[in-house]
Amino acid sequence: MDHSILGEQGSMKKLLLVGNPNVGKSVLFSSLTGRYVTVSNYPGTTVEVSRGNARLLGRLWQVIDTPGVNNLLPHSEDERVTRDLLMEEGGHKVIQVADAKNLRRALLITLELAEMGLNQILVLNMEDEARDLGIQIDVHKLSEVLGIPVVTTVATRKKGLDRVIQSLEKMRVGSCTTSFAPEIEQAVADLEPLLPEAPISRRSLALMLLCGDETLSAWLNARVTERDVARIEQICRALQTKYEEPVAYVVNRQRLLKADQIVDQVMRKGIQEFPRRFQRIGDFSMHPIWGLPILLTVLFLIYLVVGRFGAGFLVDLIENEFFGQVLVPWTQKAAQLIPIAFLRDLLVGQYGLVTMALTYALAIVLPIVGTFFFAFGVLEDSGYMPRLAVLVNKAFKLVGLSGKAVLPLLLGLGCDTMATLTARILDTKRERILVTLLLALGVPCSAQLGVILGMLGGLSMGAVLIWAGVVMATMLLVGFLAARVLPGEEGAFVLEIPPMRVPQLRNVLVKTTARVEWYLKEAVPLFILATLILFILDRIGVLETLQSTFQPLVSSWLGLPQRTTEAFLIGFLRRDYGAAGLYSLSRQGELDPIQVLVSLVTITLFVPCVANLMMIFKERGWRTAVSIVLVVFPVAFGVGGLLNHVLRWTGWTP
Amino acid sequence: MRHRHRRGHGSSQGRSMEDEQRLEEYLETLWYLQEEGRQELSHIKDAVGEAEASHLLLALMENRWVRVDGDRFCFEPEGAQKASQIVRRHRLAERLLHDVLDMGPDQVEEDACRFEHILSADATESICTFLGHPQTCPHGRPIPPGPCCQRFVKEVTPLVRPLADLNPGQQGTITFITPKFRSRLHQLSSLGVIPGTSVRLRQRHPTFVIQVGESTIAMDADLARNIFVRSQG
Repeated sequence: MDHSILGEQGSMKKLLLVGNPNVGKSVLFSSLTGRYVTVSNYPGTTVEVSRGNARLLGRLWQVIDTPGVNNLLPHSEDERVTRDLLMEEGGHKVIQVADAKNLRRALLITLELAEMGLNQILVLNMEDEARDLGIQIDVHKLSEVLGIPVVTTVATRKKGLDRVIQSLEKMRVGSCTTSFAPEIEQAVADLEPLLPEAPISRRSLALMLLCGDETLSAWLNARVTERDVARIEQICRALQTKYEEPVAYVVNRQRLLKADQIVDQVMRKGIQEFPRRFQRIGDFSMHPIWGLPILLTVLFLIYLVVGRFGAGFLVDLIENEFFGQVLVPWTQKAAQLIPIAFLRDLLVGQYGLVTMALTYALAIVLPIVGTFFFAFGVLEDSGYMPRLAVLVNKAFKLVGLSGKAVLPLLLGLGCDTMATLTARILDTKRERILVTLLLALGVPCSAQLGVILGMLGGLSMGAVLIWAGVVMATMLLVGFLAARVLPGEEGAFVLEIPPMRVPQLRNVLVKTTARVEWYLKEAVPLFILATLILFILDRIGVLETLQSTFQPLVSSWLGLPQRTTEAFLIGFLRRDYGAAGLYSLSRQGELDPIQVLVSLVTITLFVPCVANLMMIFKERGWRTAVSIVLVVFPVAFGVGGLLNHVLRWTGWTP
Repeated sequence: MRHRHRRGHGSSQGRSMEDEQRLEEYLETLWYLQEEGRQELSHIKDAVGEAEASHLLLALMENRWVRVDGDRFCFEPEGAQKASQIVRRHRLAERLLHDVLDMGPDQVEEDACRFEHILSADATESICTFLGHPQTCPHGRPIPPGPCCQRFVKEVTPLVRPLADLNPGQQGTITFITPKFRSRLHQLSSLGVIPGTSVRLRQRHPTFVIQVGESTIAMDADLARNIFVRSQG
């Protein structure tokens, strides 16, 4: 995709916005660019990169809003994407956006950009907040020390925007760099002649390699002979043996010391404490006692938006009003014109592309997932999610996870497939496998959850509680056991907590749109594929054979009527469709209350849908995918059967 | 530790290094026995064997470090002073190896035996201060206080202690971060958390949250126990 942009607009200069997370890059990006902004995932990652065009100083620029970084020595996927964008091609310019209140951390990046030899300016944003805190920065002095233009802004009020644009002309490579301990400098000097030509300086490449940056190895292997790669590795190893601590840490420390020196020269700090409104809410949301009611309120609001508005109102509107009244009848009429019965069924039959695939993709799942993306975007933008991770950290320890894992698990309530992809944000492989397993096992996606709650709501509150209790207990138990079986140490977690802010509507909408687009591109083809498979299985009679094969398990162990086999089968193709199958069975009076409960517990715990399985396969490898299925299948049927026998034995009726 | 100790000061009286080390070991043995309240001479024999016991007593009595009262031994003031310093060095070394370098109790013992002979008075004081004047060794036995500890009594809290021991609202300057979580060091330093940085503990439950400048950072208790700070009240 990048290449196509290059092909069309190769002459356009690129302007990269780089900076720490939550410093106002996106706001500045919005002010600089026009209305048409594209948000896309950086190839092969879940990291979103926004691009837009801007006419500044009489020429057209492509402005790129890079993911927030704390360091250009990549540690997270975000940092890696930004570093890669900086390395992609020469000639581009960098606007570094900094939080004026947090100059020290910004300077760490400024020093790295100077080392890379990139043209840049430094924008000290949120200048008003810094002033309120009694922080005074001598901008002229700072500009002198760094050798680059420095300007102050308040991006949310577009203050200082003209200064940013004017200073584009005066962009320069920073003259202030760090000198490191003699051993490190020697190793850099040894490495430089071995390194290939790159858009960033050899010195910065050498330092990245010395810091053990493995993300560069593919890039390097493609450009350097095998012998040189071996020599580079040898130099890096030799340097590491001289330090007790990782070289990356030693280098960071020396950079920060340099940053501290600069801060001392240019900044004066008063001792004013400035009470910030939302900080109080932020603090409460991490509080061991107050955190809980806040969490419940947030969950309730999500339920209102996704459950009531999305799954209720919008689905009704689109499925019943549009699909049910208009689209499906019309297509059926149109299909009458097709003389071949086979094609007719393919379009509008029981497993038809319009009647099933499109109805499901666009009428049921899209509104639910869309509203979920919106709610999720609001949460993301507000800074609440990391606080939630803080709140649940201890509970998650029980199942071998850190609080960070709450993010993909929560996302799983939207779509397990996408959530599996975001397990990448977790630090250890062990955690990623655990989260993938729990997602596959017990987290129902929004569509499935909607159908399940609809069915259980018809029974009783007790039934809802039993369903939720059994599913959660199973997840806890399986997680607890898996954490003991899986090798690898538990990651001690470190998470930066961004300031609590009022979400920016434009930001949320742009992101939601990008994610909905993603859903349409990725998920809809899978729906069509799944429907085709089902259609074919039905045609060649395999569907029936499968049903009779699994009959003993389903009838005697689970105590369910034979027709539920079909629901489980299609539950594999689409989790929510399986639940929907059960729904229609119970509406036809074929399931008693215990059967409803047992079948729902079983289908919730049942194997993930094909799309999710493909994602597990892609992300975690086939071994893990197969192991997960081998765990999930017996657990689902085991727990379901057990529940059936316990309920029948106690004689309890839901 | 590549610490080279200058020998020759004090009252070595031309003794060889081995002799001196042996005497120190003797004093240490008796100090332990005294701590356990086993001051009868028969206990010395139980501890080091019959032949070695008479050697030990004779050598220490010759230096007027120990005297014998009936069937019990007693430290002379100089001997008691010397013995307590050796034990102090030994147990401080244990603390250092255990707390800072994260070594197991068994390894600690062996290395501490070597440290006790080579640490200078200055180094001992620095270590003691650095560790926050600990009261006991990792095995729970008392560390005899030194001059630095007496000065320190006037202050209330140890100088250096784990970040996890601060109370919410308290501030401290990071003195060191143990390399136990090597993989976290890079991330911590990227967030500006390095020795010399001032931090404030914001909350302990359900997860530790610290404030570093304008950054708020949450971390596991395990990590907070491995970041040591000099408290600023």
